[in-house]
Amino acid sequence: MPVFNMDTTKKILVLCGGKFAFPALQLLAYEKFICGIGIGKGSDTIIEALERESKDSNIGFKSFCNKKSMLEMRAWIDDLQPDYIFCISFPFLLPETILSYGHDKFINFHPGPLPQYRGVMPIFEVLKNQETETAICAHFMNSKFDEGNIIFNDPIAIQKGDTYGKLTVKLSERMAQVTLNMANMLQFASSIPNQPQDETISCYYEKPQLSDTYINWKRMDADEIIALINACNPWNIGADATLFGEQIKIIVASLLHEPHENQPGTIVSLNDTINIACEDNMQIAIEILSTDKGIMTAAQFALLYPVPTSTLN
Amino acid sequence: MQTIGILLARSTYYQTIGFDLYEGLRSGLKHLGRNDIKIVTENIGFGADKQQCYRSAEKLLLEEDASVVIAYIGHRMAQLLRPLFLAANKMLIVLDAGANLPQEWSACPNIFYHSLHNSLGASLAAKQATNDGYTSAGMVTGYYDGGYLHTYSISKSFEETGGTISFNHATGYKTEDFTIEPLKNHLEEFPNSALLSLFSGDFVQWYFKGIKNSFEEQNLPVYLPPFGFEEMMLSDTEYPSNNIKGIAAWSKKINSVENKIFLETITNTGRIPNLFSLLSWESAAITLKIIELIDEHKNNISLIAVGLQSFAFEGPRGRIYFDSKTNTSIAPLYNASIIATNEGKCEVQIESEATGVFEHFEKLTTQELNNSTSAWYNSYACI
Repeated sequence: MPVFNMDTTKKILVLCGGKFAFPALQLLAYEKFICGIGIGKGSDTIIEALERESKDSNIGFKSFCNKKSMLEMRAWIDDLQPDYIFCISFPFLLPETILSYGHDKFINFHPGPLPQYRGVMPIFEVLKNQETETAICAHFMNSKFDEGNIIFNDPIAIQKGDTYGKLTVKLSERMAQVTLNMANMLQFASSIPNQPQDETISCYYEKPQLSDTYINWKRMDADEIIALINACNPWNIGADATLFGEQIKIIVASLLHEPHENQPGTIVSLNDTINIACEDNMQIAIEILSTDKGIMTAAQFALLYPVPTSTLN
Repeated sequence: MQTIGILLARSTYYQTIGFDLYEGLRSGLKHLGRNDIKIVTENIGFGADKQQCYRSAEKLLLEEDASVVIAYIGHRMAQLLRPLFLAANKMLIVLDAGANLPQEWSACPNIFYHSLHNSLGASLAAKQATNDGYTSAGMVTGYYDGGYLHTYSISKSFEETGGTISFNHATGYKTEDFTIEPLKNHLEEFPNSALLSLFSGDFVQWYFKGIKNSFEEQNLPVYLPPFGFEEMMLSDTEYPSNNIKGIAAWSKKINSVENKIFLETITNTGRIPNLFSLLSWESAAITLKIIELIDEHKNNISLIAVGLQSFAFEGPRGRIYFDSKTNTSIAPLYNASIIATNEGKCEVQIESEATGVFEHFEKLTTQELNNSTSAWYNSYACI
């Protein structure tokens, strides 16, 4: 039933950063769009696996382990002659010497809505900001990060309780269909609608620092703290805090709708969960945390630190 | 002047499908007082050619500047058009037979599905069979109809309600290949089995003829989904036996003011009202709501989608509203049976309104497909 002339299928080269792109690579390869795969800064295991798969499928492969190796990219592209180059979390900025292969040929798939969430970790930022929806944005690339003309933002709902890990997996799976949709668009469209980014609503987020992942009990309400904890799990292990002068990371916690009369950051009670007072008269119940002694449940923590009340940071 | 685009499919056995879809929309808009709206059509063949579908939609959006596009296509083709509508910031109303189950029900604010719910009806028809006491069933379909995942919903529903699918029979799609003879052996081995039957168009006629010729007076228990109750086809189909029932999406016998108006209006245009004109007639109300929302929300698609999710209206088959998780319309479904006309042809009899439609739909959308896939891109019943 499908009518599809394989001889005229567009050739797409995919530049990626690791396993986040695997579902997209599999689907694009299955649909015979891929002519080459380039990986930047990947682990040896992932590079070996991709190289093996590419060889078996007769697809070009190249690893770009550092900025210096990027000097070889243009010659490689010239050799493969792709119709388009897709970037999925590729870690290096592509310089003009590479983009000059064709400015309407490079498309980046940004795992966050643009122009509102520019930067390297939009998944962290949307969770931290308690958004209910994120997006994968397909945009043409220029020599600045995340600033080229937008083709579309494909929205994805954020479920309550989504962590960085859960949302990353969801986006990785959705990325497969979005890149295939883009490939089909390139295959069938007579022109690709696109528009410049609205700079008045743009925001660039730098890579999160300790100050971004640190719980400030005096300023953050309970919802904000839970959002930060989810946004830090698992890439930062958890959200940073201080307890008994020791640096800890809170990995799993939930909202406790119980008022209190304590200072924000005080341990109100410690049973199966460590219940902490928040500034909005709510509490958060910590279930799992990481200390210098290892990752543990709240109950295990209670045995190690039998102090009924204390104040965090 | 506002412009609406409609992608029209064609079908060998529903030769008037394009005219029916167009007339339903035109008459629906006129009935709602908007015959000032320009309708632009594009042909998409059987709805299977990606290039043709994409280019047709692109033309309606970019050349005709259509405010809204309506298309009789399936989920897979809608997925192909998704980036185009996202990029163009325009709304697509998919007129969906509901024969397929999508691999994912991801809601896109730009795409709303207005459905006849064949898979959902198939699922409820299977439940009827178990309620009637059948614990064994055979799934009977053809090469074409069997390629859609209503096959999965009907068999899964029968199994979940305690039944066992004892046999499957999928016949060919050419006249000379079409046979139900293997059912004789199956029914000898598994007597007292219900026949969960999935056919559309001419195949319904051929199937009923086969039952009449091979199983006369045996009154085999046959259960049908909505497309098995398509009245235009049934009116020319020989009545086969006394035990054919299932779930209908609509009938000219539904007794309501809205249905009476629809029937009279379409009949006055010289056309026979059917499932296709019904679907596009109803889409007129959805389209006008979208146009109103476009104006109200200044083209902000997210807000338009939220507005449409809370929209409900009375159509010929009853009250229609949207499930906000999937942007799919929900309409009443009807317990129905096939009766004979004085001329010995088939006629639909509406028994009652089916209960728990929305709950069943929700269940269907969360059901794992267990790696079942469909390769059919065609708009359903378009071959």
